[in-house]
Parts: sequence; C-alpha cells; structure tokens
Amino acid sequence: MNTIYLDKYKNEMLEKFADKIDKVEENGNEIHFILKDVNDVPLTCNHVYSILGTRLATIICTDELGIKNGFVLRYVFGKENREDIFIFITAVVSQSLFFPSIALQIPAAALYEREIKEMFGLTPTGNPDTRSLVLHEFPEGIFPLRKEFLLKTKVARQQRQYQFLKVEGDGICEIPVGPVHAGIIEPGHFRFSVLGENIINLETRLGYAHKGIEKLAESMKLDDALLLAERISGDESVANSTAYCQAVEKISGIRIPKRAENIRVVFGEMERIYNHISTLAGISTDAGFAFGAARLYILKERLMQLNESLSGSRILFGVNRIGGVRCDISAQDSRLVISTIGTVLRDFDKIISFLKAKSSFMDRLKDAGRIPRKAAQDLGVVGVVARAAGIDVDTRHDHPYAGYLPRNHRTPQQIIEDQIEMEKRSGDALARFEVRVREVRNSAAMVEEMLDLDCDGTFTGMPEKITPYRSALGYSESHRGQTVHWIMIGKDNSIFRYKIRTASFCNWPIIGHAVLKDIVPDFPLVNKSLDLSYSGNDL
Amino acid sequence: MKDKTKGIMGNSIETVRDTDSLFIPDNYRGSIAFNMESANGKRELAESVCPTKALLPFKENYSDLLLDYGKCIMCGYCAEITPKLIKINSKPASPVNTRASMIERLGPQIPSLASYEQTGNELRGKIQELFGRSLAIREVDAGSCNGCEVEITALNNPIYDIERFGIHFVSSPRHADLLLVTGPASKNMEVALKRTYDAMPGPKIVIAVGACACSGGIFGDTYSTTGGIGNVIPVDVYIPGCPPRPQTLLCGILLAIGRTLSHTK
Repeated sequence: MNTIYLDKYKNEMLEKFADKIDKVEENGNEIHFILKDVNDVPLTCNHVYSILGTRLATIICTDELGIKNGFVLRYVFGKENREDIFIFITAVVSQSLFFPSIALQIPAAALYEREIKEMFGLTPTGNPDTRSLVLHEFPEGIFPLRKEFLLKTKVARQQRQYQFLKVEGDGICEIPVGPVHAGIIEPGHFRFSVLGENIINLETRLGYAHKGIEKLAESMKLDDALLLAERISGDESVANSTAYCQAVEKISGIRIPKRAENIRVVFGEMERIYNHISTLAGISTDAGFAFGAARLYILKERLMQLNESLSGSRILFGVNRIGGVRCDISAQDSRLVISTIGTVLRDFDKIISFLKAKSSFMDRLKDAGRIPRKAAQDLGVVGVVARAAGIDVDTRHDHPYAGYLPRNHRTPQQIIEDQIEMEKRSGDALARFEVRVREVRNSAAMVEEMLDLDCDGTFTGMPEKITPYRSALGYSESHRGQTVHWIMIGKDNSIFRYKIRTASFCNWPIIGHAVLKDIVPDFPLVNKSLDLSYSGNDL
Repeated sequence: MKDKTKGIMGNSIETVRDTDSLFIPDNYRGSIAFNMESANGKRELAESVCPTKALLPFKENYSDLLLDYGKCIMCGYCAEITPKLIKINSKPASPVNTRASMIERLGPQIPSLASYEQTGNELRGKIQELFGRSLAIREVDAGSCNGCEVEITALNNPIYDIERFGIHFVSSPRHADLLLVTGPASKNMEVALKRTYDAMPGPKIVIAVGACACSGGIFGDTYSTTGGIGNVIPVDVYIPGCPPRPQTLLCGILLAIGRTLSHTK
C-alpha cells in the first residue's frame, strides 16, 4: 500500500467533488468516499473509473435499514500498477428504492446491478437489462438479501418466462443446451442462435447452482462461514478461504505470522498448479485428443495425492483458519512437496512439448474463442482469461497479500519486454493454453521459494470481540482470477453481510463474445479454455 | 507392476493394481471415532462447534454420542476442541442403503475396505450378472460446489480407470442405468433433476454423492435448496464425505448394484 497515492487520490477527489462528498474514511488500503446523494454516483464513479484509471472490483449492497437509514451501495474500484488501493464510493439509497445505473459508462457494472435488483429489490434506473439471475421460479417480490427475509422461508414455485435475446432471419435456428450437460460438469443453460454451424449469438443463463451462500453466511459463526467460503467453489477452496480470512483479520486488526502467510501462498500455488493441469487436460479432451488428457490427468492425480498427504483433503479443504493456518508444513512435508512437484514438472514439460508438436491439436486451439481486448477490458475480465488477452492484471502483484511480494523493480527494458509480451497475446484458446503452461511453471518455482519456512508460528489466535458494523475487503488470486470478498461484522461477532465476488462472475459474460467467430463444435473447447465455475458464479 | 523407467510418455501403466499404491494418508479425515470414557462435560462442547449439526443432541436413552454421517462435512472442528473425546480416523466412512442408517451409534465399528481393485472386480461380476453388459452412469450436478465433480472426474483418470470394471459415463439419462447426483439439490435444479430421473429407463438406481446430496450438508435446507436429493427423487444409496474419495464412490456403486441384484432374484 502506498500512502502517497492514497493522499493524492483523496485530495484530488475532495477538490473535484467537494460539494458532493459528505465524508472520507480510510481503512488500510481502502479509501471510502461517502456521498451525500445517490444521484451523484454516476459522476463520481465515472471519474474514478476513467480518469483515475481503475477497474471495477465489485458493487456491494447492504440492507442497513436497522442501523442507518436505508440500503447502502458501495462501488469498489481497484487501482492497479503497484499502487494497491481500493477506492469505495458509498451512497445511501433513499426511500424510493431507485438508484442510477452506471452500466452504460462502466459495462462491467451491469451484472452487479441486476444482482442488486433481484436480491434487494432496488431498481437501477437506466439499466436496460434487469432480468432475473438466480431466482428462477421464485414469485415476484421476494428479496432474499433483505434483512426482513428469513433464510428458511420456503416459497412456492411460480412459472416465469425468461426472455432470451431473439435472433431473427432466414435459416436461423436456436439450440438450447442444459442445465444438465453431457459431461461431468456443473449446471447452466446455453442458448445458441446459429446459421448452419456458425454461432450468431450465445446467451448464457446461469443460477442453477444458487444455494443462497451470502444469506446463509449471515446466520453463521465466523468459524463456520470459513467452511462455507471453502465450498463456494470446491476447486478454489484455498483462494476463497484466504480472501475470507484476510477480510476478517483486517477487520479485527490481526496480523498473522510470517510462516502462516507463506503457507497460504504454498497452498494457493499448489491449488493453481493442479487446477491449471486439470484445465489443460480438459482442453486436450475437448480438442479430441484423449491421449494428452490422460497423461495430464495422471499428473493431476499425483498432485491431489500430495494435497491429501499435506492437508488431509484431496482438494485442500481445511487449510486456512482465521488468524493463521490449520495445517503446518513440516521439513519432511517440504521435501515431499519439492520432490513431487519436481517430477510432475519434468513429466509436464514432456507432455506439453508432445502436445505442441501435434499440428492437429495446435490448429484446433489457434483462433478458437478469440476475445477482443476491448471487450475484455470493458467487461472487467480477470485472471488467465485477461492475461491471455494482453491485459496485465494479477492480484498477487497488484494488491500483494499473504506472502506474495510486490513485483520486483523492473528496468525500463524489462518493462518494455513485458509490454511486448502482453501485446503479442491474442486472446484465443491457444493463448490461454500457453499462459496456463507458463503459470504452472511459475507457480512451481514460487512454491519452492516459499517453502523456505525458517520462521515460526502458524496461528495468532482468534479475534475476541470485534466492533460491530466494521467492514473490510479481502482478496486473492484464484486460478481463475481475482476473488474479492467483503465482510461487515454484526453484533456479537456475527456476520452482518458477506459479499462474495469470484473471478467467474467477471468472466462469464465474455463467453458470448468469445464464440462469435466459431462454430458450435468449438464451443466445449472455448468454454473449457475459459475455465469458469458455475457454483462460484451462482453462489 | 508399474514400469516407471519409461516415464510419462512411454505408455507406462499407471493404473492402480494393488492397495499399496492407493495409500490413504493418516491425516485424511475419513470417519470419526469416540472415546466415551473422556466424555465428561465435553459432549456439549463438541456438539456446539459442529457447523452442520451432525453431532446429534444428547438424549437420555443413548449412552453413546450419535453422529449423522449424512451431515458431517469432516471439518474436524469437534476433534480439535475435544481431542480426547473425538478422534478423526483416516478410514473412510462407508456408503449405506438408507438415510437413517447414516446415523451411527458410534463405537469401534469402522467399515473394512477391500482394495480398490478387489471392489472393482466384484462390481464387474455383479454388473455382468445383473445386466449382462456394462453399466451406464449419468452424473447430475444439482448445485454442488464442484468438489464432488472433481472426484467423479478422477474415477475416469488412468489411475482409477473405472472403465476397466465395465462402467462408463454416458451423456444422456436415456442411456443410463444409474444416476449419480451431487449437491444439495438447489431449488433451481429441482425440476431438471426430476426430469432427468423421469427420462431414465427402469430399473432406475440413484446414488446421492456427498454430504450435500445426503442432507444438504453445509448448505442445509434453505429458501434456495431442498435439503438433499432424497427430497426430490428416491435414493438407493447414500455416500458420505465432503467430497467422498474415488474408492468410496466405487464402494457406493457396488452397494447399489448388489442391492438391485438381490431385489431381482
């Protein structure tokens, strides 16, 4: 975090919007501008977004009718490039239950506004699309995240039509797919409009895996909600639990021991390696090359066995705890990790060079699912998908957390080389394939570096009593991209509001743009190369 | 035996052939054992930390603690707070036929587990007897966190290679003999799950995979979940775990086939 930048933005905003800002609050690397009027949101957000050059991290709505005077909206913008700042624009929605939409200026905001409309019943004026997201056949007038709504309420099913975008013209057909798919994957519905084999339009309808996680967390103890965080998306358990723990630790002012920070990095990177290998295997399957997939799945299995011998869970459940980590890594474990990852990496290199020598495989990936950089930027895409489209975002460097270090000082030459590398990335399935291969190697090196655990202590203790209504942002980089969790503590260490935004939420909208130059049989390959979680999106 | 000298690209056989190669580490959280001698006053403490209420409240007529494996997500919180009373065991809890039998009277009874290959071979025999052909499975995710999917996918990798036992995963319920269902059955998946079940030809076998599918697990029974697959379609076998490991999944399939076989005789 850089206090110089923090002051700079504070002064700049205060100068420009003196009559609009009621209050400014700081909380670590967060700076909150509390507006007098919700109608000033578009103006201020647009300034923060386009003039200060930030990315929309999340939009949080809370029902604070009981403690303040209404629903509170918090627009969170992340400032990257070594500045490590989160700018919050906060405003209270008046009795009218309307708030101005910012989706036309900041397209990434559109989905958040739909979510707020559905879960809180606040209407974003000016947002052209307010269709339902996760409450498929729920009756009208049910707003689960309002405090007056009780978690266990059972509502009757009501038939509701979902309006898909209709493509008309000679020879246009619709192909509905899902929610139950042909493979062993999660539920979701895809509606293709095709002309022959060419995809003219693709619309996704998700929400089938909606389990009410955010509402459920409000009834849970802090320790139990950690288990819930691990199960937001089973294969991102470390990333999500890390983000959750960091938010709680930030609220209660706990600093965890260095060793625990490094262990979080080790598990986070182990998670990235086994999942990237799994995705690469999936790409190979969907490109019709079962042999490559089979070889890569062998490596994944070895890594899952390694996960288990360290943490007692094959998918790394139970690694984190608030105030540290639950499982330590002994010297013997370290040696096991280094030797296993070493052999896996040697085999990995052999398989990858074999795959790259197969022209039929490489041709299949090249140009499939190409994502235009502009679209990726506008929709706020994160993670591997963004990096493969030449957008240099990575929470591990942009907002260093746990044992991650800010990016080393680079010489002007290195900076230019990095920029050229980014420019070269074309955003197709092949680029995503290559970025993943590169990240597997980087992560392996990072694990080895972090395993030098000469410092002591894995746990500092739980927070005793947290001041009610304090809040903080926790974040991490899962193998899918930036994960942002925001927690507001209620009375007696309860959770007042738990807002989760996984990378999948940001990345799902891009799929409709990625397939526009493809044919229907390419879709599984493109989908797999994007590696999106349904559960992490639907919550 | 494995030929390790040729390396990953040398067509080496990676498939497990014996128990040793599928060694379960000691710290795996598979089942729970109680030492009732040190239960004094600790029982309530253990019950109070359980996030899914899997440790059932004490009743006068039971002298033992009761654990509902259908709810337990193996977080290990109870063992952490009362280490003398509760021990986590690495032997995985076994699949059962009825929801009620997941609530176990805990004593020393830990299920014995045959080797992966023995289980598979027994299963192959029974599938042959029942169908005279291979077994077709359809998997449905009814709102799981995708942890169970990771393990079901693992069954198809060259190490577990479930196809060698005559089991394959099919893409349509119309081709399926058996339905593997994961997740707490989210309300949004309720209709799709029912329709998938209806589309299957008889005899229909349904397996609920993981704590969520058995009882709703950590997601429980809320406005957006149905509190377990059993509330949507009839279930033949329940597999505990969060997520269950591939060996346990295979045991669950064996149990389901064995049961159907005994019904047809």
